[in-house]
Amino acid sequence: MINVLLIIFIISLLFLSIANRLKTYARVISLQGFILFGVTYLQLQEINTFNLILVLLETIVFKAIAVPIFIIYLIKKNNITREAEPYLPNFISLIITTIIIISTILIANSIDDTALDKIFFVVAVSTLFTGLYFIATRKKIITHVMGYLIIENGVFVLSLAVGNEMPMLVNLGIILDIFASVLILGIFVNKIGDVFKDVDVDNLTELNDL
Amino acid sequence: MLSLILILLASLFFSGIIIRTKSILSGRRGAGIFQPLKDVIRLFKKGTVYSQTTSVIFRIAPVIYFSSIVIALLTIPFGSHRGIISFNGDFIFFAYLLALGKFFNIISAIDTGSSFEGMGASREALYSMLAEPAFFLLIGSFALFTGHTSFYEIFNFLHLGSYITYLLGVMAAFVLVMIAMIENSRMPIDDPKTHLELTMVHEVMILDNSGFDLGLILSAGYLKFAMFGAIISNFFIVDINFGYSIPSYFAIQIIFAIVIGIIESFIARFRMSHNSQFIFALTSVSILIFFGVLLVLEKF
Repeated sequence: MINVLLIIFIISLLFLSIANRLKTYARVISLQGFILFGVTYLQLQEINTFNLILVLLETIVFKAIAVPIFIIYLIKKNNITREAEPYLPNFISLIITTIIIISTILIANSIDDTALDKIFFVVAVSTLFTGLYFIATRKKIITHVMGYLIIENGVFVLSLAVGNEMPMLVNLGIILDIFASVLILGIFVNKIGDVFKDVDVDNLTELNDL
Repeated sequence: MLSLILILLASLFFSGIIIRTKSILSGRRGAGIFQPLKDVIRLFKKGTVYSQTTSVIFRIAPVIYFSSIVIALLTIPFGSHRGIISFNGDFIFFAYLLALGKFFNIISAIDTGSSFEGMGASREALYSMLAEPAFFLLIGSFALFTGHTSFYEIFNFLHLGSYITYLLGVMAAFVLVMIAMIENSRMPIDDPKTHLELTMVHEVMILDNSGFDLGLILSAGYLKFAMFGAIISNFFIVDINFGYSIPSYFAIQIIFAIVIGIIESFIARFRMSHNSQFIFALTSVSILIFFGVLLVLEKF
């Protein structure tokens, strides 16, 4: 069952790479939150109950519900245009995401370690690199934050693989979540998107010291 | 032999059911189920007009297209009955027979010298090229999963048993239905109803064909639909008793036709620029199926 959820997680990455609208991005991130909730529930059997409840609450409340809703609210409030506006066409994004997935599978296959849970490794590393790729190829600051959220989901999956032995790592993943929410709050407080007409990073290149 | 007869029977009403579903859903009286068949018979009685710019390729292409589909039909098994042609690796034979027919369709479209037809041919070539790896990865994964390499053995040794195999089955069904839609130039990729040459894909390639040739191309299309319906139904009918398998085969064909009709009634076609990324996504999903098969076999 865990494998099923993790494969659906990879499919969500593929879907994300050809998505057009920012709302779709937020919805897929919410779906990933729900998938992570399921994986956490099935995987972390051995840690103490209090910690498990904390982690489950964190995934379902923050990852799956609060953050996506807040992002959609931000998009509306700051009048951010609905399109994702990537630098590269979606078709190339899809090819690159596929290449990332294939190469992580090959890397995982070449590692000869019985302690490594390979499917967790594949999902985590491909999510990490896909998130990085999204950050590198999308124009808006809000999509950079969403790319960061995807990376952080990848880190969370990697920590789940060893969560039974080292519950501390899962909690560290949660701290990353708090850091991401600080980034989103930064956009909210500074009203990026209202001040500049568009929140393109292009505007930052005009900064210079006199 | 049985599968050939059943596919021929199914092809008689398949397109009619799609058209009837669409007419019911849009509130029209609509034509009867056998109207496409009557159209083809009418076309077969007519003579053919050839443009002066065309060469011999244009004349032989419809025949080759039709016969390639008919030979491809022979490889399809029916449940526990082999197809007429059945050998190890026959799915490769099957795929490249379809590709041969499509190739002749494309060069005959270019042969007419019409710029519209060249455009349609280029699109069709692109879409088939992108769909081909998806098909091979999918059937290759099944071949790896079952350890056999012919259609008959793949269908007969395929047994789903755990959560992950059910997921793989759902993904494979999705990819196979979408490949069927691409091969037949139907809705999410291509709109058979469109009236503008600029937005056509398959329809624009056969603009210059008339009479007998057009009849051949249309009937090849009906056969192709029934063929993919038969492949999909083979996933379900293998284990079923012989008396029930034929009715369930027809039930699956009819449900497939009705689903296509519903899809065509309610979904708009994709933007032309989005088609290629959508078709490539099928390949990505097939790669995941392959990965899943490796996981199930514990070779990963």
